[in-house]
Amino acid sequence: MTGATLAPRRPSRRPANHRRRAAILRQARIWSGVLVCVLFLLPIAWMVLTSLKLQRDIFTTPPTLFFTPTLETYYNYLWHNDLPARMLNTVIVACGAGLISIVAGAMAGYALARVKLRGAATIGILILLSRGVPPIALAVPMFLVARNMGLLDKHITLILAYCTFLIPYVMWLMRGFFKALPDELEEAAKIDGCSRFGAFFRIILPISLPGLLSTLIFSIILAWEELLFALVLTNRAASTVPVVISGIAGDTVNGANWGALTAVGTMTMIPVVIFALLVQKWLIQGLADGATKG
Amino acid sequence: MSSPSTALGVGGTTRRQPRSRRASRLADLFARWGFMTPAAVLLVATLAYPIGYTVWISFAELNLGTFAPDEWVGWDNYLTAIEDERFWDSLAVTGTYLVFAMPLQMVLGFAIAFLINAQWKGRGVVRALFLIPMVIAPVIAGGIWRMLLDPLWGVANYLLGGIGLGPIDWLGDPFWAMFTVILIDTWRWTPFVVLIASAALLSLPRDVFEAAAIDGANWWNMLWRITLPLLVPVIAAVFVVRWLGAVKMFDIALAATHGGPGRATSVVNLFIYEEAFRSLKFAESAAMSIIVLVLTMALTAVFLRGSRYLEERH
Repeated sequence: MTGATLAPRRPSRRPANHRRRAAILRQARIWSGVLVCVLFLLPIAWMVLTSLKLQRDIFTTPPTLFFTPTLETYYNYLWHNDLPARMLNTVIVACGAGLISIVAGAMAGYALARVKLRGAATIGILILLSRGVPPIALAVPMFLVARNMGLLDKHITLILAYCTFLIPYVMWLMRGFFKALPDELEEAAKIDGCSRFGAFFRIILPISLPGLLSTLIFSIILAWEELLFALVLTNRAASTVPVVISGIAGDTVNGANWGALTAVGTMTMIPVVIFALLVQKWLIQGLADGATKG
Repeated sequence: MSSPSTALGVGGTTRRQPRSRRASRLADLFARWGFMTPAAVLLVATLAYPIGYTVWISFAELNLGTFAPDEWVGWDNYLTAIEDERFWDSLAVTGTYLVFAMPLQMVLGFAIAFLINAQWKGRGVVRALFLIPMVIAPVIAGGIWRMLLDPLWGVANYLLGGIGLGPIDWLGDPFWAMFTVILIDTWRWTPFVVLIASAALLSLPRDVFEAAAIDGANWWNMLWRITLPLLVPVIAAVFVVRWLGAVKMFDIALAATHGGPGRATSVVNLFIYEEAFRSLKFAESAAMSIIVLVLTMALTAVFLRGSRYLEERH
């Protein structure tokens, strides 16, 4: 708050002085922004740094800052824990769940926003409420049902489990997005002889592409990092990377394997960060709208 | 997906006989609800059905041979849950986490947004970098912080030692373990609040502030009389979004402290998970998750109502 207290308390008598103070304030704001940002990124920087260290450089006091970076940890752990297979599982499950949710969620979001349905308001409230369902209340029965149906450790089970929180999320975001579009779009489509579905798929969807894309990417990220359902519903064949990481982090028998933790963590983080940065403009807009547009 | 009958529905059929008008109205009804169908089917199958199943198990005894409920036991499981003081402890742990973490993230997020609120060339870059903590998997966040806060080799204690503090037993002491969980969660979610708060601050009407400045309002008055009241809808909405995320707290507690030391950071989701999948008490955990479900739903409804009210009033 130091920057803020520098704000002019009373209108200055001399405008030049005032302007200089405003300039200093501006600089203070900019640099504090940079500083806060760096502070928030330090833990991640430390993770990446640690992943490039040899074991003997990791466990030292004082912590080593200068060392010869090596990819040895990546090399060693890439083939442990079936990591490539689990990466592939994570990709399949996250993309599958993301795609199903975006299709079902966008259609339903459109229905809530633009199609007159009796009870749309009630459905809207139910969806919002369903976003508060604690996943543990679903994990127990899903495990039992999947076990009895022989669906444990299958990709499709995890994909369907992720739909429980992704569909409501997509519905809500896209509902806000569609609401903001001008009404004339569908009217024009109707005059041109489009059906409702035609208007949706040929006109509404194409112009909503940025919103759809950022929602899809955020859905994939949410599925990518989900842990509880993955722990409960898979054990080997369809198991995902977060399960591996929780295993490494919680390994009390072999002690802390920070090399493996940071290397796997960095590998898992990189695609997500790249994706997030690619669509950051839309993503931030979507986040702000999703939080504020009711 | 768009069947020919629905395609006919909206178009030129209206001028024909009444029978086909009725048919077209029916087709239109189908088309309208058609948009809802995929989501409704999926959510009933994956959300409503499991919740119903949980209710069923919670009133039954689960046969561990077949993993299916076999004997109706009435409210027994609920009684067991209510009499289990560990369940109450886990609810209290969750409550403590929520009561401290959520206001902390909101205040910190809005304060940072106020602080860094300036237009400049690098703003977009800073904003983009702020996204990174929140897209990091919570389980990785828990893992990294566990490493940073390690009592022996951790950087945090080394740095604290440099200014003559500590060493702090971050993960081994009940108080500090709770502090750690809140710290990690705050680290992950404050940037989210900052991003939304910054966007909201930029969209505030400038003329109101200029008018107030001409009237001689000082910074503090402007904050309390103008900025915060204008931001109330945003604050309410962010609160609801954070609440919806925070009640799901599981991964960070699992990866960073594993609910320990003892059960000091065993949030209710983690506790029920352990009861169900380690102790195999499925029926009791079903009863507990129904209790948690009802509690969260009730609070969610209250918060939604409240935020609606605040949004409409301002």
